[in-house]
Amino acid sequence: MQSETRKKLLELFSEAKGDFISGQKISEILGCSRTAVWKHIEDLRKEGFELEAVRRLGYRIVNTPDKVTANEIQLGLKTETLGRYIHFEEEVTSTQTIAQKLAYEGAKEGTLVVAEQQIAGRGRMARNWFSPKGTGIWMSLILRPPIPPQKAPHLTLLTAVAIAQAIQDVTGLVPDIKWPNDILINGKKCVGILTELQAEPDRIHSVIIGMGINVNQTVEQFPEDIRAIATSLAIEKGEKIKRAELVQEILFKIEMLYRQYLQHGFRPIKLLWEGYAISIGKEITARTLSGTLRGMALGITDEGVLMLEDADGNIHYIHSADIQL
Amino acid sequence: MLKIQEIRELIRLIDQSSIEEFVYEHEGTKVHMKKPSTSVPVETVVKTVAEPTVKIVTPEAPSQAPAQPTAPIAETKQEEQAKQETVNKENLHKITSPMVGTFYTAPSPDAPPYVKVGDKVKKDTIVCIIEAMKLFNEIEAEVNGEIVEILVQNGQLVEYGQPLFLVKPE
Repeated sequence: MQSETRKKLLELFSEAKGDFISGQKISEILGCSRTAVWKHIEDLRKEGFELEAVRRLGYRIVNTPDKVTANEIQLGLKTETLGRYIHFEEEVTSTQTIAQKLAYEGAKEGTLVVAEQQIAGRGRMARNWFSPKGTGIWMSLILRPPIPPQKAPHLTLLTAVAIAQAIQDVTGLVPDIKWPNDILINGKKCVGILTELQAEPDRIHSVIIGMGINVNQTVEQFPEDIRAIATSLAIEKGEKIKRAELVQEILFKIEMLYRQYLQHGFRPIKLLWEGYAISIGKEITARTLSGTLRGMALGITDEGVLMLEDADGNIHYIHSADIQL
Repeated sequence: MLKIQEIRELIRLIDQSSIEEFVYEHEGTKVHMKKPSTSVPVETVVKTVAEPTVKIVTPEAPSQAPAQPTAPIAETKQEEQAKQETVNKENLHKITSPMVGTFYTAPSPDAPPYVKVGDKVKKDTIVCIIEAMKLFNEIEAEVNGEIVEILVQNGQLVEYGQPLFLVKPE
């Protein structure tokens, strides 16, 4: 965790929105000497921030490094609660495991665990999620929603909508959502979301939303066996994307939708989800442990459950499956 | 398309009558009701799009418990089932599902199951996972004891409140 002084300093630069702040003002607000301010600025530089220092004007941030430590994420963050506590590590087994532990120990709602690299990132059915160093966003968000446990799956669809919106705003790319919450661009997967629930029968302790986002990988950086089905935002966009900016936008969108959800329920989220849904109104295949179903995807219920109509006209309600378009 | 209220009314009328079997077909909708004399379950099949509350019989649906002829809705059946088991196995602790979803005995298809019949469990032992829409819920035993029975199959859809395991408390 970063120091309080560092946090304050970044908030100051955040508020300045690229304008100069005088060294005098910084020292007053942080409650430290001008020399100490200079030391903090030097520390930021060492971490990859580009800072301009002009006599009589003070300091301003010219460029931030493409990193996803608490520094970069909190500089310019627009949320009230999400991402206000950030636990960053260079390398983890899985951000999900750390977030579970923090949640169990009482971490506040909105706590975010981020890593530059996961050595055992995981997906559905304990499958691997390829998460190499410095290329993507590997993070887990802790929520403590005051809703009954059986409603918690709503949040997985909500998260997909929030990430799709954020990707659209930051990159201009138009993502699709494949039920329930895979995000695809041009038919290839670039975001996976896996959520875990800690709950008693009638009360949620925490919902831990794990997000894996392929941001700046090149084609060559993907293992050969997934190149046909996986992509990154940079591949699709043709240029690199600043990861911290995307994290900020994702947190902001989740916070907005989450607030809306707690107030108005799932209906408004469902409408937004349907706007991005790629798998509805098409023939799809749903693979489950108990068998494979093929049919027309009719839509989702008010609970987010997929409705699939088979050749005989029977409707199947699908709660969990791998969907193939 | 029949409304749920209309189906209910039909069930009520047929139940009171001496009719044993009833088939209704209209614009691709087919309702088939059969009323055996004793406690064999009544099956209501509705084809094509129906109100979500109507129980639709599909290969994925959970095995149906015996129900009263006037109770075509899944939740009601579930409660009946729960009640019956309380009577039969009073001393055993039931681990129930906190949500509708898919029941998994193991973290992945290749992994060994979390627990087997005869295993000793503690309060915080994970006994299974319930998944719905890529949200995973690890279910704990809630009591110290021994697993006596596993009531559902791996990969099966379970309802909210459905008993999953019977545990003999220690």
